[in-house]
Amino acid sequence: MKKILALFVAMILGASMAFADSTLINGAGATFPYPIYSKWFDEYGKANPGVMFNYQSIGSGGGIKQITAKTVDFGASDGPMSMDQLTAAPGRIYHIPTVMGAVVVAYNLEGVSKGLKLSGDVLADIYLGKITQWNDPRITEQNAGVNLPSSSIVVVHRSDGSGTSFIFTDYLSAVSSDWKGRVGKGTSVNWPIGLGGKGNEGVAGMLKQTPGSIGYVELAYAKQNGLPYAFMKNQSGSYIEPTLASTSKAADGAVIPADFRVSIVNSPNPESYPIASFTWLLIYKQMDDHTKGAAIVNFIKWAVTDGQKYAEDLDYAPLPANVVQMIQQKLEQVKY
Amino acid sequence: MKVLIHSSFERTRRRRAIWDRAMVYVLSLCAIGVLFILFNILTHLFIQGITSLNPEFFTNLPKPVGEKGGGMANAIAGTFTLLGLAVCLGVPIGLGAGIYLSEYADLKFAHAVRFMSDVMNGIPSIVYGIFAYTVCVLPMKSFSALSGGFALGIMMIPMITRTSEQFVRMVPVQLREAGLALGVPKWRVIVDIVVPAALGGIMTGIMVTLARVAGETAPLLFTAFGNRYWQHSLAQPIAALPLQVFTYAISPFDDWHRQAWAGAIVLILMVFMINGWAQFYVVRHSRWLSGK
Repeated sequence: MKKILALFVAMILGASMAFADSTLINGAGATFPYPIYSKWFDEYGKANPGVMFNYQSIGSGGGIKQITAKTVDFGASDGPMSMDQLTAAPGRIYHIPTVMGAVVVAYNLEGVSKGLKLSGDVLADIYLGKITQWNDPRITEQNAGVNLPSSSIVVVHRSDGSGTSFIFTDYLSAVSSDWKGRVGKGTSVNWPIGLGGKGNEGVAGMLKQTPGSIGYVELAYAKQNGLPYAFMKNQSGSYIEPTLASTSKAADGAVIPADFRVSIVNSPNPESYPIASFTWLLIYKQMDDHTKGAAIVNFIKWAVTDGQKYAEDLDYAPLPANVVQMIQQKLEQVKY
Repeated sequence: MKVLIHSSFERTRRRRAIWDRAMVYVLSLCAIGVLFILFNILTHLFIQGITSLNPEFFTNLPKPVGEKGGGMANAIAGTFTLLGLAVCLGVPIGLGAGIYLSEYADLKFAHAVRFMSDVMNGIPSIVYGIFAYTVCVLPMKSFSALSGGFALGIMMIPMITRTSEQFVRMVPVQLREAGLALGVPKWRVIVDIVVPAALGGIMTGIMVTLARVAGETAPLLFTAFGNRYWQHSLAQPIAALPLQVFTYAISPFDDWHRQAWAGAIVLILMVFMINGWAQFYVVRHSRWLSGK
C-alpha cells in the first residue's frame, strides 16, 4: 500500500517538474482552422521556445463560451459573436481574422465528377426540400450535357453545432429570402429536411456511402477525401470553382468594419467563390496577464504576416494585405 | 398400469435431460460470445494500430495536424497523473465510508448511503465532468489536471465505498470478537484486524475502479482539457490518453487514425495490467492470511 502510494506521488511530481519556466497559453474553439493553427503554434513555438500554445478544437460555440467564462486565454470561432454574446462577456472582446476558408458543396452522383453547376437559389431550394430530384429542370438547365439521374436528392447536413454550418446557412440566407425567413443562419439551425452527420468527417462519410446525396464540407476536407464538389454561381453570374484564389477574391472589395465582424458570403467580386468566410481569434482588449498578453499579441502579429505562408499548403486562403494592416493597427489597442 | 407409469416417468426424464443439455449449450455459447467479442475487439485494435506502436509513440510529443509521426508520451504520463490524483481523493473517502457503513452505521442510515452510492454509480460520467467544471474550472479560471483528477476521484468514491463495505463486512465476526475479548478497543480491532483481513478484496475493488475510470473521456473533456505539451503544474491543462484517442479518431487524417488505434491498445493494456495486478495482489494476500 505504501509502495503504491509512493509510486503515485512520484509520478505526479515527476510529471509536473519538467519545464519550470515557460509560459503555457491555452486556447479553444473552431475546428475549421485547427490544422493551420496547430501548424502555426508548432512553428512559432520552435522560433520562440519560452512560449507554448495549447489549442483544443472543441467547436466555435465552445470557443465563445470558454473565452466568455475566461477559462482559456483566447478563443476561436468561424462565426462572429453576436451583439448579445459580446455584451454578456466580462470584458471587451476583439475579433482578429487569421485566414479565410471556403465551404464546398459536395455530392455523390455516379458518372458526375467535380464541377456540377449550381446557383444559390437552387441550393437553398434543395435544402428546403422544394427540389427533390437530380433531374429537376432547374438543375439540368444549368448543366447542359451532364447526364443527371432521376433519383431523389438525399440532403446531408451537420448534426452538431458548427462554424461550417454557420457559413453555409449565412450564404443560403443571403441568396434566398425563403431560407432567411423559414430557417435563418446559425451554428445549428432547424433543418427542414435531411440527414445529420457529426463533424466534417460524419458528413463526408454519409456522402461516400449514399448515392444521390449532397452535403457541405470544408474545402480542405473535400480535397483530402477526394469528394467531387460543385462550382457555385456568384453574384455576377459566373460559375466559380472553389480554390484558394477564388476564396481570397471574396474579401476583395468587401468593406471591412473596424471590429472585423463581417460576412463575406455572396461577395460582389466577379471572380469570387460565394461560400467563403474569415475565421477569427477572440481575445480580450484588456489582458489579465502581462506575459500571456504580450505573447498572444506577438503571436498574432507573426501569424498574420510571416505565418500566412503556411496557409496555402493547408488549403486556407491568406488574408488580403489591407486586412493585415488593419489587424496590426487593432493590436496596438490591446492592453496587457 | 405399472408399465404406463414407468414410460411416462421415462418420458419426463428424457425431456428434462434434453432441456438440461440444451440450456447448458446455450449458456456455454453465451460464455463463448463474451470471449469472442473481447477477442474481436483486441484483434481489430492490434491490426489497426500495431504499425503506429513504436518507441516514438511512447517517447515523443504529438506532431501538428497532418504531419506524420509524433507520439503520445505526454498523454500516457498525463493519464497516470490523473489516476494518481483521483486515487488521492477517491480512496480515503471511499474506504472510510465503506468501513463506517460496515462497522458503525445503523441500518437505516447505511441503507440510505448504500442507495445513494448506487444512484451515483449510475450517473453518466459526463455529469461528473460538468460538475467538476462548475466547482473547479470556473472558480480557478483555468482547465487543470486538478479538476480532471477531481472529476475522476468523485467518480471513484461510490464504487470504492460499495466494494470496500462488502469486503469489510465479509470478515468473520469471530475475528472481531477475538480481538474485543482481549480488551482491544474497537478502532484498533478495525485498523489491525478487520482491514488487514479484508485488504485483498479492498485492493481489488480499488484496482477495478481505477481500471474503469482510466478509460473515461467524458469527465475529462471540460476539466483536464488536453495539452499538446508536458504540463508544468497541476493547475494547468493536462493531456490524457482517452482524450487524445477521441481527438485523433474524429480527425480527417489517416496517420492520426492509426495513432488513435495505437492509443487505444495502450489504454487496454494498461487496464489489463491494473486488473492483473489486482488478481496477483489478492492471491498473494490470501496466501499471507492463511499463513503459507
